[in-house]
Formats: sequence, C-alpha cells, structure tokens
Amino acid sequence: MEKIFRGPWTVPFGECSLRLDPLNLVFLAAIVVLVLSSAIYGTGYLRPYRGKKPLGIHAFFYLVFMAAEKPAVRQAGFIYLIASHCATFFLFLMFFLMAHAAGSMDFDVMARTDFPQAVAALAFLLALAGFGVKAGFLPTHIWLPYAHPAAPAHISALLSGIAIKMGIYGICRVLWIVKTLPGWCGYTLLALGIVSGLMGVLYALGQHELKRLLAYHSIENIGIIAVGLGVGLLGRSHQVPFLAVLGFGGALLHVVNHALFKGLLFLGAGSVIHRTHSGEMDHLGGLAKTMPWTAGFFLAGALSICGLPLFNGFVSEFLIYFGLFTGLRELPPEGVVACSLGILSLALMGALALACFSKVYGIVFLGKPRTDIKTDGTPEGTPFSMLLPMAILAALCLWIGLVPQSVTGLIFGGGTYLAHTDAFAVRLGTVLGPLATVVRMALLFLALILGLVLLRRLFLGTKPLPVRETWSCGFVAVSSRIQYTSASFARMIVELMKNILLFRRRGGQVTGVFPGKAHMKSSVHDASEEMIFRPGLALSNEISKKLGHSRIRYTQLYLMYILLFLVFLLIWKLK
Amino acid sequence: MSLLFNKAVTFLLHWLVIGALSPALFGVIARVKAFFAGKKGPSLLQPYFDLAKLFRKKCVYSSTTTWIFRASPVVSLAVMLILSLMVPFGRFRAPVQFPGDILLVAYLLALGRFFMILAALDTGSSFEGMGASREAFFSCLSELALFMNFITLSLLSESLSLSRMIGADIPMSWKGLDPVLLLVVGSFFIVLLAENCRIPVDDPDTHLELTMIHEVMILDHSGVDLGYLLYASAMKLFLFFAILVSIIIPVRTGHPAVDTGIFLGGVLAMAVLVGIVESIMARLRLNRVRLLLLIAFALAFFSLIVTLWRN
Repeated sequence: MEKIFRGPWTVPFGECSLRLDPLNLVFLAAIVVLVLSSAIYGTGYLRPYRGKKPLGIHAFFYLVFMAAEKPAVRQAGFIYLIASHCATFFLFLMFFLMAHAAGSMDFDVMARTDFPQAVAALAFLLALAGFGVKAGFLPTHIWLPYAHPAAPAHISALLSGIAIKMGIYGICRVLWIVKTLPGWCGYTLLALGIVSGLMGVLYALGQHELKRLLAYHSIENIGIIAVGLGVGLLGRSHQVPFLAVLGFGGALLHVVNHALFKGLLFLGAGSVIHRTHSGEMDHLGGLAKTMPWTAGFFLAGALSICGLPLFNGFVSEFLIYFGLFTGLRELPPEGVVACSLGILSLALMGALALACFSKVYGIVFLGKPRTDIKTDGTPEGTPFSMLLPMAILAALCLWIGLVPQSVTGLIFGGGTYLAHTDAFAVRLGTVLGPLATVVRMALLFLALILGLVLLRRLFLGTKPLPVRETWSCGFVAVSSRIQYTSASFARMIVELMKNILLFRRRGGQVTGVFPGKAHMKSSVHDASEEMIFRPGLALSNEISKKLGHSRIRYTQLYLMYILLFLVFLLIWKLK
Repeated sequence: MSLLFNKAVTFLLHWLVIGALSPALFGVIARVKAFFAGKKGPSLLQPYFDLAKLFRKKCVYSSTTTWIFRASPVVSLAVMLILSLMVPFGRFRAPVQFPGDILLVAYLLALGRFFMILAALDTGSSFEGMGASREAFFSCLSELALFMNFITLSLLSESLSLSRMIGADIPMSWKGLDPVLLLVVGSFFIVLLAENCRIPVDDPDTHLELTMIHEVMILDHSGVDLGYLLYASAMKLFLFFAILVSIIIPVRTGHPAVDTGIFLGGVLAMAVLVGIVESIMARLRLNRVRLLLLIAFALAFFSLIVTLWRN
C-alpha cells in the first residue's frame, strides 16, 4: 500500500519524490477533512471582515493573526515564531546525525540502515526535543496557549487539529526510520505522554477563556497520543507485535479523532465568539436557548473529547487502554508498572476532562446568561456556512464512534507499518471482536434511550407540562450572577493541585458586620512558563547584555577581523 | 435464531431481576437505620410505592432548563440497564462479556454522570452548581480507585473482562485467604459508598444542606423524571453490590437454587451492612471526603504492590 511519485527533477542532496504510505495516509485523511470544513467555515466567519483588510503580501499573516494590531496577538505570533525556530534547530541536528550515519538524506536509505544504538538514542532524543516543541509536549508547550487562541476560530481549529499533529507525524516517522531504538525510549515517550496529558487537562480546568481552555486541552490529547505511541514502542522493543499494533493504531486513531472533535469544538467556540463577541466563560451562559444548533454540535464534540461511548473518542481510548491492559500481561515487571501508571493516568485524564467539559458546556451553554449578552436577536445567529462544517465534523465523530470498523483498516494499516510487523502475524481479531460488541452495546443503548423516552411520553401524556422558575429553596432575590462560574466549578480540583498549578487568588475577603463591595480575582499560571522559561530567558538576557557591553564599536575593527579570518582560511586551505 | 432467542431471554431475565429487586435495597437500608434509631421504620415495599407514585405524577420544569435536563434521567436509567447486562449476578453469568468490558462499564458510568452534572448546571441554581462541582471532583478520585482495583483484578485473573475478573478464578485466590482480595474488597467498598452517595460521603436523606452532592443535583427533577433517577440509583446500588458479592462469595455449588439464594443473601447482607454504616457513622466533613477516597486508592495500590511482589 505504497504509492511513490518521483519528480523529473532533482533537489540538492537527493531526488524529489513524494510518497503515500500507510502512515501519512492517516494524517492526510485528517488534514483533508478538517481543512475542507475550516475553509467552508471561514467564508461565514470572516464575512464581517470582508473588504476591511488589505490582501496581498500580508494575506497569510492576516489570516493567521488577523487582529495583528493587538499587542497580545503580535506577542503570540512572536512566541510561536521563536518556538518553531528552536524546534527546527533540534531537527537540523537530528537530520544531520541520521544522514551522517546512513550516508544519505533519503528516508528510504535511512530506513534500511541499522543505526548504532547510541545514534538511534540520540536521534530519538533530538526528535523528541524538536518535534516535541511542535507537538506541544510539556514543558515546551508554552507557545501553544498563546498562539492557538490568537488566530480566528477556523485557523485555531487547524492549528490544534493539524499543525501540532505534524510534530506527532515527525516522531512517528523517526520511530519508523530508526528500528533499533533502545528499550527506555518507549518508557520515555509514555512518561512524557502521562505528564503532558495530566498537566494539560489540569491547566485547562483552571482557564476562564474558552479558546485558551481548548488549547490546553490539545496538550492533554497530545499526551494521550504519546501514551499510545509509548505503548506501541514498548510492544515493538519487547517483541510483542500485538501490543505494538494496538498502541500505534490507537495513537493514530486518536490523531484523526482529535482533529475531528477539536476542530469541531474550536468552530463551536468561534460561533459563540462570533455571536457574543466574548470568549470569557464567566460572561456567558444559557446559549443553548439562543444558539440551539451550535450548542448541539458542541455537545457532540464535548462527548467525544471526554472519550464517552457512542462517540469516536471512546474508540481510540479503548484501543490504547486495551494495549495497556495487554501490556500488564505481556511485559516484564517494569513494563507492568509503566502500564499501570498509564492506565491510571488515562483514567484520571478521562475524569478530569469530563469535569472540564461539563464545566465548559454547563457554564457557556446552560443556565442563565451571566452578563447582558448583546446579540442581534435572531434565533440562531450563526450562518449556514458555519453550521455545515460543524455538522459534518459532528457526524464524523458519531460515525467513527458507531462504525469504527470503517476506519480500523486505515489505522491498523498505519499501526502495522510503524510496528514493522506483518499484518497477518497479529491476531487483530482479539481486539476487533470486542470493538464490534462495544458497537452493538452502543446501538442497544440508543434503542433503550428511545424506549425510555417513549415510556416517559406514555406516563406524561401529550399535554404541555407546567413551566415554573428554578426552585431556589425559598430565596426570592435570585440573580443570574449567583450561578456557579467556571472558576467556582473547578475550584475544588484546582485547589487540591494548587502547588503545581500556581493557583493565585487575590481579594475576596469581606470585613466588618455590613461588608461593602469586594473583589476577587483568581487565576492559574503555567508552572513551566513561570518557573523554567521566564527565569531562563531572563538569565540569557542578562548574559547577552553583559556580552553587549564588551562589544567593539568600530566598523574598521570588524573589517580587520574579517580580513584576518580570510587570511587564516587561506593558510589553512593552502597547507 | 434460537441463539438470538436465548440471548433475548437472558437479557430480559437480568432486567427482570434487577428491576424487581433493586428498589427493595433502599427499603432494607431504611429498615436497618430505623432499627438502630429504635423506630419501627417504613415497610420494605415503601420504595416501590414511592416509584409508583412518581410515575403517576406529571413533571414541572424550570423555564431555564433545556432538553439536557429532560434527557438526563433517561440517560441515567438507560446506562444502568446496559450495565446490568455486563455484571454477573452470582452464578448467572453476565449475558454480555468481552475483553475490555470494564472500560465500557466505567465510561458508561461516566456518561451518566456527565449528563447529571449538565442537568444540574442547566437549572442555573447555585445549589445545584455546588453539587455538580463536587460530583465532578469526587468522581475523579473514585474513578482512580476503581481503575486501580481493575488493574489488580486484571493481573490476578489475567483477563480484561469483568465476568472473568470476579468470576471463576476468585475462589482459587480466596483459598489462601488472600490479602490482595481483602484490600480490593475494602477499597471497592469505599468506592461503592462514594459512587452511590451513601454516608460517610454523602447523605441521601438530606435535601437542603450545604454538604450534600447527589441529592442537590436532582433538586429540580420531579414526577416521572425523578422516578427514573430514583430507579437508576437503586439499580446502581444493586450492581455495585453484585460486583462486591461476586468478589467476596464466588460460590458455585452447582445447584441453581442454592447459588441464587447465596447471591441474593449476599446482596441483602450488603444492604444491611450499608445500613449499619449509615447508622453508626456521621457524614464526613467535605474536605475529609477526598482523604477517604484517597484511602480507597491507597488500599487498591497496596493490593497491586502485593500482586506484583508475588509475581
């Protein structure tokens, strides 16, 4: 299942060829679907901006960072630029190392090379550093929560759904090329996934801004993917092909799933912002009444991202869990410990994601509006061109959830390709059978829901039911401001974790017998940004300042240095 | 064809057993509590009367709520009906069992919880928001303990299916009076109390205190909806009892009647035990609950260490 297109021209150091194999097929599938949906969405979303912006050489930057006149957005773009340059630095090192060992820049030649263990390990670490920044692993994720919310919604969807997956693709490609990875690589990847996943979802819980929260959730999902890849790598290095295929396959399916549901959620968030001009969750509320379609699609996305049955998130998490539980039986003791940790952290991630998305959905779409939301008063207010892509993505989430057989060929193809094993050697029926039963149970579940709804109708009759106010325990001066907010909903979890989340709270103390107005501000700060990168950058700033003082200030001296250097080179070459 | 028919019959039998017997558990617990309080207590059939009453009543809805609020009771009950097909009732094997069914069990429970939390937030009441927030928090910890138990049981039974984990292989382990299983039972009992909102985690009898969790989330539900929720929580209790009983007394005498008697007796004894716990303990302070759940996690963790040590 490989198609190679060779260009009739050459590029420096090699030939030009494009290639379609089972691995990049998975990523291409995700790209095609999400890019198409985002393009349709963009026509509606950008309508208010039409004609206002000069198109031309800056078109790309306007598309990516449309509000470039805002300092925060410019800063986000700058941070993104720096992060991707740092990543590229490691990648250059990695490719030079691999090309040097293989004697060629061609991936095919590299893949046929047996790298020495030391080179393989170093290439793996460099890949983790380089592609890890792009994928958003902890602690190098800090550019992500700045960059993703700054872009317009459909571009955020692409950044979260596709762009960070290119980091994952890079890691997958290196795993495919370098066959002789030492055993600890799998554990490293698993540990990285666990840390990224747990911290990502915990940070997400502490956020108050819708798109920033979704951006942090991308880190969690990247963590889940890394756990899957780690399981696959463990299976590969311990010669358990079934485990390897399960882990890699689950991770690849999660790549596709995450592109679908995170794209859907960002588009939904975009519709909310499009209509209310606010992404602050604590200003919103009750939008399910005014935007029923958006609310419905967003719910589908929320159910998917929490990995709940009926939707696609459950299928990929099921495969990864299945791999981890299989690892309990097949791996040596240290592998059993690693798999146990993986299972526990996946369970905790699931529960925390559920808390996080019940918060998002409950605060934004349910209850009463917390502030006076200015809308134009039309029933949905979202143009059809924005609803259609959401509908497509939601339908695909449900489709993969209910008919996973339609994608198992694709993802297990990629899995066996990465595992370097023969598809027939792996008894995939061991997992496909249970998956089919899961689907049957899901259908039975839907049938039961239908039955119970009919039964309820039988009990209640068809007469309209009385509608009253929410019972407030006898208190009459109820205001929508006393509803739970996103901060108060997450408070118990965030306070339990306050040491690693840098939870800060100011004010909120009332004094006296008749207290007056009080203000309270709470926020969660990123530990790796505040503890690692800010001090580190401050230090490097200081050093470069000191170096700057000892700089020579005459151009003539520089010219002389250049001349001396040329002379040195000449002598060296002539010798 | 006859295979399908057989399957349908076993499904219906399981639903019949759980549907008919689960409300009685509330009656038993109430009787035990009444006994400890020196009162006579309501009839064992009282929960059935309550359900019948609720099913005859109409619902009242708040103008704030959306379809989510109406959907949550249906989803909860449907989840419990599906789960009852995957949990073995003593010698009656679960009609549906496959490797990995524990994941479906855990995530279906989560699905029900998701809709309950949303329904609570749907009312816009700060009381219900409070309950929802606590439910989300405590379920994180109890899910951690639950999966820890799953890992140990999976290692013990070398299987991924609930029916195999707590079925035939358990008697072998009990013969050596296994500390692993004792720890698992202790941990699972705490998870049971937390998941079913019993004392010392939550008090099912108080509606209007600032410390409750589950009861406050259903404050606005009424009539048929409340009936569905009550029925679903009775079934949930029965299912958790069934799992625990299958771990503690995995007896297979071979006589269907005897085995059924032993299983139902075990479930009854569990209800009495929960009643006793509720009678002699007060509800824990809210910030202590997380310690209790972490104890459940620690017990399960020790059981895993012992298992690994032995392997």
